[in-house]
Amino acid sequence: MGNEDQRSGVGCDQMVRDHASATSDEVSETPPSTPEQPEIEGKRRLLLWVKAQLLVRTRRELKDLLLKIVFAVAMLIVVLPFFLVVVHLAIVGLGGLTLDFFTTLPGPSLAGGIRNALVGTILLVLVAGGVGIPLSVLGAVYINEYSRPGRIRNLVEFASDVLAGIPSIVIGAFGFAFVVVFLGVGMGLVSGGLTLAFMMIPTVLRTTQEALRQVPVSLREASLALGATKWTTTWRVTIRAAFPGIMTGVLLSIGRVMGETAPLIFTSGNSLGVPTSIVGPASWVASLPYTIWAYVSDPRPYLQVKAHSTALALLIIVLAVDVVANYVSRKVTRRLV
Amino acid sequence: MTSEEPSGNSLLLRFPRRIWSYVLGGLRTVRRVRGPAAQDLVGRFVLLVPAFAGSALIILILAFLWYEATPIFLDPQGGPSILVQPIWDPNRDLFGIAVFIVGSFVCTFLAIAMAVPLGVGAAVFLSEFCPLRIRTSIRMIVEMMAAIPSIVYGLWAYVVMVPWIRDSFAPAVQSNPLTSWMPWFQGSTNGLSVLAGSTILAIMLLPTVVAVSDDALQSVPRTYREASLALGATKTETARKIVVSAAIPGIGAAIVLSLGRAVGETMAVLMVTGNSLQIPYSLFDPTYVMTSIITNQLGYAFVFPLWRSALFAVALVLLLMSISFTIIAKWFVRWGMKTRGLV
Repeated sequence: MGNEDQRSGVGCDQMVRDHASATSDEVSETPPSTPEQPEIEGKRRLLLWVKAQLLVRTRRELKDLLLKIVFAVAMLIVVLPFFLVVVHLAIVGLGGLTLDFFTTLPGPSLAGGIRNALVGTILLVLVAGGVGIPLSVLGAVYINEYSRPGRIRNLVEFASDVLAGIPSIVIGAFGFAFVVVFLGVGMGLVSGGLTLAFMMIPTVLRTTQEALRQVPVSLREASLALGATKWTTTWRVTIRAAFPGIMTGVLLSIGRVMGETAPLIFTSGNSLGVPTSIVGPASWVASLPYTIWAYVSDPRPYLQVKAHSTALALLIIVLAVDVVANYVSRKVTRRLV
Repeated sequence: MTSEEPSGNSLLLRFPRRIWSYVLGGLRTVRRVRGPAAQDLVGRFVLLVPAFAGSALIILILAFLWYEATPIFLDPQGGPSILVQPIWDPNRDLFGIAVFIVGSFVCTFLAIAMAVPLGVGAAVFLSEFCPLRIRTSIRMIVEMMAAIPSIVYGLWAYVVMVPWIRDSFAPAVQSNPLTSWMPWFQGSTNGLSVLAGSTILAIMLLPTVVAVSDDALQSVPRTYREASLALGATKTETARKIVVSAAIPGIGAAIVLSLGRAVGETMAVLMVTGNSLQIPYSLFDPTYVMTSIITNQLGYAFVFPLWRSALFAVALVLLLMSISFTIIAKWFVRWGMKTRGLV
């Protein structure tokens, strides 16, 4: 009887007597070879479980019960904001989520859709991924496959941990000082994408490393024993085995980077259209989070509604990416076990 | 033959000659290998570049922020004393950034004070008392909470929480004789306040605290729990006195990590703290945090060298704080593992 038997204390024998009848019923229905209880008595078991939880005889058990309730309430408070945010956004913003909203550019006085922001976010993520993903995946391959555990590996891991902790606005200020001003790229798609790539590196590096670490050594040894070089082994065997794990990391970091506003304020500029060139003012690009910020700061009331719709769209995209990432990682763990 | 050479010269030559022989040997090896072996060797050296991209990036960030921040530290108007001067007025060339540091610390401290007890309690429930089926779905919700962009939280706080504080919470606590005397509930408010900022910050920290604490609790060996239960302890006694105390290093790391995130959080805090240049004395006072001043003023300050440099000094302070938080968290985990004999 799983949970309730773990309770201990003074009146334990009382409880055992309480459940003796129930347990004997169930045992008589099931063959004795299977230790688990059948699902058919689910409702009754739940009732008994609740009863056993609420049964209080001593002061210590009262304290036990009260603390359990306190912990459960803490859990409820923790997840409550999620539902508050989602419900609020859905109530205000769902009406604005039409197909037109995604496919039209904002016209005069910002009436219209968010096509600029949607396209801009996709482009920025593409640039950031194009730079950040190869860098971090290759880096993880080097430290996990080629370097021995020691100072170099510690240094790289420490660096990526530090990088993961740097505030996004500091990355934004750095992107402004380095990419926009020092390298002379100017605001726009390239600067914004590069700045986002800086934010992607630590996440992808650490998850890739974790995925590579989970590939069994025997796979690599089998490949090496067949005469393959380290390089071939790495690319044809190790990476292939770790691919779902790497995908999870990539998706998680894309989801995170998509919602970043602070690094883009000084690097990507903003525009009401779709970027038409790679450099120069024509490459200024809008993004979903920046658009939300701009609309919220605007006093016109219909833009508040638009901000909610945009936020809802961003939320749906980010959560969808997150769910896909979780699904991929669950598949990989199931396959490896 | 070379015995007449002065010894200093040979000392100078010896070291480069050794390197030179290494390089020559390496080149000879490269020339000798063919086909897949050459690919292997070249690939190995090519991979070195991305491996150090992260470290190079950190050095680059530090160097650039330092370079941009030097003018204000060298200027007679500024100097290192800007770190403790409380008056920020770029029009009068006064660049004291203490007000932002204090504002950041007040917000962060309040947020941690709210998030840590709640988060650790929730993690204990999740890890010790929760049935597996509920546990999986709650873990998923917590992960989703961590994925929600900060601008979305900020929007919600700005549209829902700020009016609620202005219209319901503040009048309620200020008219209630039980709470109205408290110094931290004084002052009129328009809702944009330290309270709103730290609450939304706490909400954003909760997923991190819950997830990391839950992992720490889960890594406590099962035998500890069984030993405690076998001695007759109740489940909450086991959870509080055995499991939590065994998991203290992990929880400590969670707290320090969330400290770093709280100090660096930008958009949500910017939208709800009111951005007023004052040190908050009550929960309803507005304030200005470090991230907000950079976000709000870097665009205008770009053409004024001193002003821009002061903002980069703020960024440098933020960066150094986040680096030290990361180091402290790592040190915490290592210390805990050592004292608890886990590694």
